[in-house]
Amino acid sequence: MHEMSVALEVCRLAEEQVGAEALPRVTRMGLEVGNRSGVVADNLAFCLDTLLAHPPFRAARTVIRRTDDSALRLEWVELDDPELENANIP
Amino acid sequence: MPVRTIEVKKNILERNDRLAEEVRGRLQEAGVTAFNLISSPGSGKTTLLERTLQELDQEIPIAVITGDPRTLNDAERLARWTNRVVPAVVAGEGGCHLDAAQIAAALDAIDLGEVRLVFIENVGNLVCPAEFDLGEEAKIVVFSVTEGEDKPLKYPLAFREARYAILNKIDLLPHLDFDLPLAIANVRSVNPDLTVFMTAAKTGDGLEPWFRFLRERTGALVA
Repeated sequence: MHEMSVALEVCRLAEEQVGAEALPRVTRMGLEVGNRSGVVADNLAFCLDTLLAHPPFRAARTVIRRTDDSALRLEWVELDDPELENANIP
Repeated sequence: MPVRTIEVKKNILERNDRLAEEVRGRLQEAGVTAFNLISSPGSGKTTLLERTLQELDQEIPIAVITGDPRTLNDAERLARWTNRVVPAVVAGEGGCHLDAAQIAAALDAIDLGEVRLVFIENVGNLVCPAEFDLGEEAKIVVFSVTEGEDKPLKYPLAFREARYAILNKIDLLPHLDFDLPLAIANVRSVNPDLTVFMTAAKTGDGLEPWFRFLRERTGALVA
């Protein structure tokens, strides 16, 4: 149902934030889903798990925080950052 | 590998909402009123629209955008009464709602200079369509006396998001156990501000207030 549409929008927003080439490096995405948003958080998580298990993603996970309002937000995106790793080399 | 966290904090439906605002702007600029009809399947939306087109289309030029998971059945029924029907068929059987991008595309097929009223006949579903702003002036939730008095309680978002409600098939009241005062009380408990029309689209009973409302909203009723 419409949780898949919402999940596809989450992926689109993630791409908008990190760029298409960085999508394979996304490790986690944080969402807020309100209990009055009309979206069933578990269904959304299921749809996202399905999408994130396939290219261009590489098994990224979602962290959903349930809220007591109508929020439906992508809060943050976490990705592997090789530049940070290089920066840590002594 | 070290990770970097990017703060996003964006409404997931922001693209839809942005497109809906563009649609709203186009409609306002053209002086066109648009209503988004949402209901469960079988509430009588299409029959109501047929009656409305029959009564008003000569007086108030009307366009209809229809959404269905499959078939053009509704669009074909409505096309008997107007040539301004745009079927925005939702792809596939999993399609459960219309979105603003579909409405924007459908408007491209309508000469807005020639219409004053647009009805969006959404997919029969009281859950998902309530979520999506389509750029309409208002959502109208349609339910019928064959569906039970507790529809507003079961689907509060649809009734909360709507500004108007139509309780249809009231001609069947003598044959059912439907508790009309309880149904209205349930509507009010979810949304005290809803204006409720009671209609029987099949027989035409109760349609005059609905027609008067549409004339008023489109400026066709001169005091």
